[in-house]
Amino acid sequence: MRLHKKRCKRLILLFMTFSLSGCAPFTENNLIEEISPITFLSISKGDKGELKVSTIMPPLSKENKVVMSQEVSLLKEGVQKYNLNFYQEMKSGQMRMLVISDELGKDGIMSIINVLLTDPDISSRIYLVIVKGNFEKYMESQLDKDENFDYSFYRMLKHYEVQNQGELTVVNLHEFKNLLYTPYSDPFLPVFKLEEDGVNYEGTALFKDEKLVKTISSIDDRIFQLINNDHYLAVLPIQEFEVVLGHVRSKIKVDIDSSYSTMTYTVNIDTRIEEYRGEKQLFDPKELENMKKDIETHLEKQTHELLKKMQELKVDPLQLGIQTKRPFSKPMEEKKWSEMYEKMDIKIKYDINIDPLTDANSKRQNL
Amino acid sequence: METHQLFKKNETYNGFYAMLLVNRLQMLYFFLIMPNILINPYMIWVLIAVGILSHLNLLLLSKWLLTRLSSNGYNGFVQLFGKKLVRFLSFIGLFFILLKLSVITLGYSEIIQTFMLPATDTNFLVFFILLFCFYVAGKGVEHTIRFVLISFFCTFWIITFFIFFFFPPIAHLSDLYPLIPMEWKVENWKAFFLILSSYSGPEFLVFLGPWLKTNNKTFRYLSYGNALTVVEYVFLFIASLLYFGSDFLSKSQYPIVNMARYFQNPVIERTDMIMLSFELFNLVFAVSLFLLLFYGASKIAFGKMSKPSSGKGLLFSAFLIFIGMVLVNELFWKSWEKQTFLLNLQIIAGSIGYFLVPLVVVLVMRKRGG
Repeated sequence: MRLHKKRCKRLILLFMTFSLSGCAPFTENNLIEEISPITFLSISKGDKGELKVSTIMPPLSKENKVVMSQEVSLLKEGVQKYNLNFYQEMKSGQMRMLVISDELGKDGIMSIINVLLTDPDISSRIYLVIVKGNFEKYMESQLDKDENFDYSFYRMLKHYEVQNQGELTVVNLHEFKNLLYTPYSDPFLPVFKLEEDGVNYEGTALFKDEKLVKTISSIDDRIFQLINNDHYLAVLPIQEFEVVLGHVRSKIKVDIDSSYSTMTYTVNIDTRIEEYRGEKQLFDPKELENMKKDIETHLEKQTHELLKKMQELKVDPLQLGIQTKRPFSKPMEEKKWSEMYEKMDIKIKYDINIDPLTDANSKRQNL
Repeated sequence: METHQLFKKNETYNGFYAMLLVNRLQMLYFFLIMPNILINPYMIWVLIAVGILSHLNLLLLSKWLLTRLSSNGYNGFVQLFGKKLVRFLSFIGLFFILLKLSVITLGYSEIIQTFMLPATDTNFLVFFILLFCFYVAGKGVEHTIRFVLISFFCTFWIITFFIFFFFPPIAHLSDLYPLIPMEWKVENWKAFFLILSSYSGPEFLVFLGPWLKTNNKTFRYLSYGNALTVVEYVFLFIASLLYFGSDFLSKSQYPIVNMARYFQNPVIERTDMIMLSFELFNLVFAVSLFLLLFYGASKIAFGKMSKPSSGKGLLFSAFLIFIGMVLVNELFWKSWEKQTFLLNLQIIAGSIGYFLVPLVVVLVMRKRGG
């Protein structure tokens, strides 16, 4: 090559300046002062069947924050309307949460999910959340008290997601999409209720395909965390026996008979008693054994009811259907499975292993 | 200023370089989109089977590389085929190279446009990529071959991140079921040829004979390179099955990049951007090599072998390729259906090239040499 060395170097220098300074021709202008990278979007049903999209602007700078909402028929149209109404351009690269109202959830959210999936700016790690109540009003009331409440909300979800901390359901876009698109499974999302004092976790919303059909809460939700979502609970209070089980870890075993008519669902639990206010002498192995039996029967009954409910609604968030997949045979058709699932006799069996640690109220023997 | 000879031969590279060449030439654009065409878990076996087939191809290739003819370069081919046929074959080869170059460069620039620079025209990206490649190719074949080392170490580590997908909560063994095909559809043939085409690339080593030091260990090194590719492909495919599940896989346009998008890092949020940028090293290496081959082949095809190679000539062929790519981009790549046509064309051309080139060379050699 006869190109002069100096010329070559100049060429490279030119290229470097181009690419490093970000002045490659026709790129998007992402100057931080001129954009507002929103952290969340809240979507609810508008008045005329449209979508109501709201968020807090500006998300970054220390200016006064305002709640902005737009009624649009398409989600991305909302983004465009924001841009026309606000001096900064809206960017979705930092989006962390999508708050969906439960009415919209009942109508189906497939189209919204697809919008998120096709936008390469939006990470598939964003959290999806269902809220009951008017989130927009709630935001307005919160802005005076705590401007960063959106960030705190995000941190909370993040905390429970990492390492599966139990307690609450946390679902990101990727997990939701996988449950939505794979056969033999239905997605679920956490539900939060808006009250005077803040956003309270209510339970888990079960979806039939893209539509919200049922919200499970209290003990049902606890059991759901235990058998599906996290396989771990920090505390499991059982009021009937005045006992609190702590650090509950579960292992699930599912057996389906060859005719697909009966399913045995075995839950192995390792736990310890954290608190007890009843009258039983838990130091006595026999009493402890009785207690264990009682808890087992109680949980079996509760779980059976929960699964019965799921069968009636024809939803399968536990992905029981994948148990029918075999390495060397053709997978069953989804329709056939759902018919079988409805009629299937599900037997629940709990096997609990308890280490008694405290029994503050019991009288000590041999003293 | 010394006059630069692009095709001069001062030193030869040992088997290790041959291994890297085979591996990196096989890991170009197709591995980024492959899972969305393979889809079914049983394709893992096809990946492995075609990998073994590719082994046999490399055996033929190594036979050719071992002969004295191969180290003679152009003259060796003239001895084998005769001058006229070599000119004709080089002319046809030009189209193969242009097609391959267009698919890998345009494919890569489109990914960059989708994930990193959504407002930039892909033609600009192609221009900058070619500018880079022209610089590397301008250093001559020797340095370009040596560049494979940089390309390998800049890109190989990326795959280790994907181990993340092999652990719960993402990994479920049932995502890999059924392991054997229950029915064989027409689309599976496309997947089969895609795999064959993805393994193509090493056939260009046929022309690099003069720069490779060959001995009885050559085949071993070539097959190491190929085995490494098979492992990488199978690894990535299983990872994508675990991440997407085979039902969603066909709906994701760039499965591997989308998976990289899922990584999270407290310091760098968009790890996928960093990985894509490093992938540029591999592309630049391959395109520079093809650029030199294109220049060489056009010299042969137009009967200019007696003239010394020059930077101007290379610049001219780079310019031609740029014009060609912009045309392909505007006419084919930007519309989705035509892009599929072009991809199918490359799938077929790549498969045929990889299958025929070593076979024909060895067969003719046997016939002539007895």
